[in-house]
Amino acid sequence: MRVHLTRPMLLLALLWVVLLGSAAQASAADDAAPQVVRVGTEGTYPPFTYRDPKTDELAGFDIDVMKAVGEEAGWQVEFVEAPFDSLFPALDSKRIDVIANQVTINPDREARYLFSTPYTFSHGVIVTAKETDDITTLADLDGRTTAQTASSNWAEVARDAGADVKYVQDFGPGVELLTQGRVDAIVNDNIAVLDYLATSGTKDVKIAGDAGDEVLEQALAFRQGDPELQQQADEALKALADDGTLAKISKRYFDADVTVKEGSKDVKVKGSDARTRWEVIKDTAPKMLGGLIEGTIPLTIVSFVIGLALAVLAALARLSSIRPLDWIARAFISVIRGTPLLVQLFLIFYGLGQIGIKLDPYVAAAIAFSLNVGGYAAEIVRASVLSVPRGQYEAATVVGMEYWQSMRRIVFPQAARIAVPPLSNTLLSLIKDTSLASLILVPELFHEANIAAALSTEFLPLYALAALYYWVVCYLVTLAQAPLERRLSRHMA
Amino acid sequence: MSTLIEVRGLEKSFGEQLVLKGVDFTAAAGTVTVLLGPSGSGKTTVLRSMNVLETPESGLVRISDASIDFGDPPADKSAYRRAVRALRARSGMVFQSHNLFPHKTVLGNLIEGPVQVQKRDPEEAAAAARELLAQVGLAGREDAYPSQLSGGQQQRVGIARALALKPEVLLLDEPTSALDPELVGEVLAVIRDLAAENWTLVIVTHEVRFARDVADQALFLDGGVVAERGGAEVLTDPREERTQRFLSRVLDAG
Repeated sequence: MRVHLTRPMLLLALLWVVLLGSAAQASAADDAAPQVVRVGTEGTYPPFTYRDPKTDELAGFDIDVMKAVGEEAGWQVEFVEAPFDSLFPALDSKRIDVIANQVTINPDREARYLFSTPYTFSHGVIVTAKETDDITTLADLDGRTTAQTASSNWAEVARDAGADVKYVQDFGPGVELLTQGRVDAIVNDNIAVLDYLATSGTKDVKIAGDAGDEVLEQALAFRQGDPELQQQADEALKALADDGTLAKISKRYFDADVTVKEGSKDVKVKGSDARTRWEVIKDTAPKMLGGLIEGTIPLTIVSFVIGLALAVLAALARLSSIRPLDWIARAFISVIRGTPLLVQLFLIFYGLGQIGIKLDPYVAAAIAFSLNVGGYAAEIVRASVLSVPRGQYEAATVVGMEYWQSMRRIVFPQAARIAVPPLSNTLLSLIKDTSLASLILVPELFHEANIAAALSTEFLPLYALAALYYWVVCYLVTLAQAPLERRLSRHMA
Repeated sequence: MSTLIEVRGLEKSFGEQLVLKGVDFTAAAGTVTVLLGPSGSGKTTVLRSMNVLETPESGLVRISDASIDFGDPPADKSAYRRAVRALRARSGMVFQSHNLFPHKTVLGNLIEGPVQVQKRDPEEAAAAARELLAQVGLAGREDAYPSQLSGGQQQRVGIARALALKPEVLLLDEPTSALDPELVGEVLAVIRDLAAENWTLVIVTHEVRFARDVADQALFLDGGVVAERGGAEVLTDPREERTQRFLSRVLDAG
């Protein structure tokens, strides 16, 4: 078959330019005054950084300190929520300018980042299940398993003690592993642990002992290239310490001043979420629905439409007699199908960010999912086009149609019938895969579930609810499939 | 009568195999040319070269005022495409397996080319299509889908679809070979009518008795060359031995 790809290729190229252009524009605006400082924080690590269950606003010790610093330094502070392990890549790729998330200063990090003067002094504790009695010191961790966040310094402390470290996304899931007996211990900041115990009211885990005598210092982390910001933060922190603001913020959360050395020994924590299980579910259900409607569904639709267009182009390129087009399409399909979607997402979002292509999370997610759909659906489209008898294409040719016209009017309508069942599988996968976008800061359904689960520790009901939402959407899609198939198969012999 | 069709020195190979080794013929307007020969003789390839469904390596095809010299085609790609489009526009084609569009009604099949390609007024094209349907004996079936028709009816729609383009020449590629024997007659009757109305037809067929009745010119192809040519008498009284052998075999089988 002859192929003239020029016009659709051009349209697609234009679409991409628009997508990339909007992202480039967003980054160009960053340099303009007044100084906008984007602050990366988890939002799922009470009482330091979390969503206040009553107001749904970001709250916590680190948030209040950061707001005070921003006010003092004359910054316009914008918070960006992301899982802890995503914060440093986000800082590297200039999506955020500073991390306010109880980042502990250690030599490795000091080599890569600039730190403000510390605003928290804490010490580590070892958390175990209630009935565990043979772990009380770091030395006891040798040969045992602990659950840690990958990039947290506590993971390092546990590793150095000889523990086999299992990596979790944040503290809450770690405690869940502990109570389920899947790990032996967790090493973490004493304040975070106390908050968790107070919030969850759990009696299943306990603080078994201190993780060494070392006092750890937490500070704001900046890029190496941003010494001005660091300096401004230091000045602000000094002023806030001098006028008692830092102490006041700390007392509000901990009934003690953790902003000075040894202060963390007397910490008392009230617990940041006192809601019942049903209140949590009642509060979270509409937020998850919001995430579904504003995040999951539009992301699915946009990605599926662009992905299908890509798939059609790739399929026609595979069928083309122009060899290089076939090679390019084969390479594209092979790369997309041969690499994990999560890796593709991270490459596009964090990876491209490091070479100056900073994409909005939605845009990055839409590109990654579109490429993914394109790669998977291409072979479906190709097989469907091949299933249409060659005589149909010839008949279209002899009535005078050009390549695209015969494809559009004669071949595709017949191929669609074959393509619908496998393509609805692709669509169902896509709907569920969009949950991965929560890892690149897109506030979709699963992101909301994660935030609420981290704060309330109600993993079972919240994740079950998330599953229910996904299932309902997928079920509706499969309901639409049968009538569509019937419609397309009308009159087909 | 003027020469409407000119085919000269047609050569075509599939991979290593040379299937056309220089085929020549001409046909006057309003005449019926019948191509016969054993399978693999190249007769269908000749027909498919006439609307560039196959691209010969060399040779010339002219229909009316459109022609392509495949040995020396226009170097410019778009000029070549224009030439192909012009040549195709001069002919209509009837396929062995009708190749009707299954997702369109009978009427939709007939007006697809006139409306989408020739940009004719849909009302006018539909009216013309209904007349053609009446002509092939299918008046009133315009809203049926191809799957609702018998094989003979499908092939008659195929003929009407080709005629709807108002071509100067109709190319028919074994139009009855895929049909059940009892359905062959109705299709041949339609083609006979067309011949009687002085359409210019080029037919590849195995129906020797039918060919004897309608042919103004008969070409017997064997091994990629025209082994024998002449009027309809070639089909009753062939000179060449291989023509004789072929005819007796086909007539015995039929």
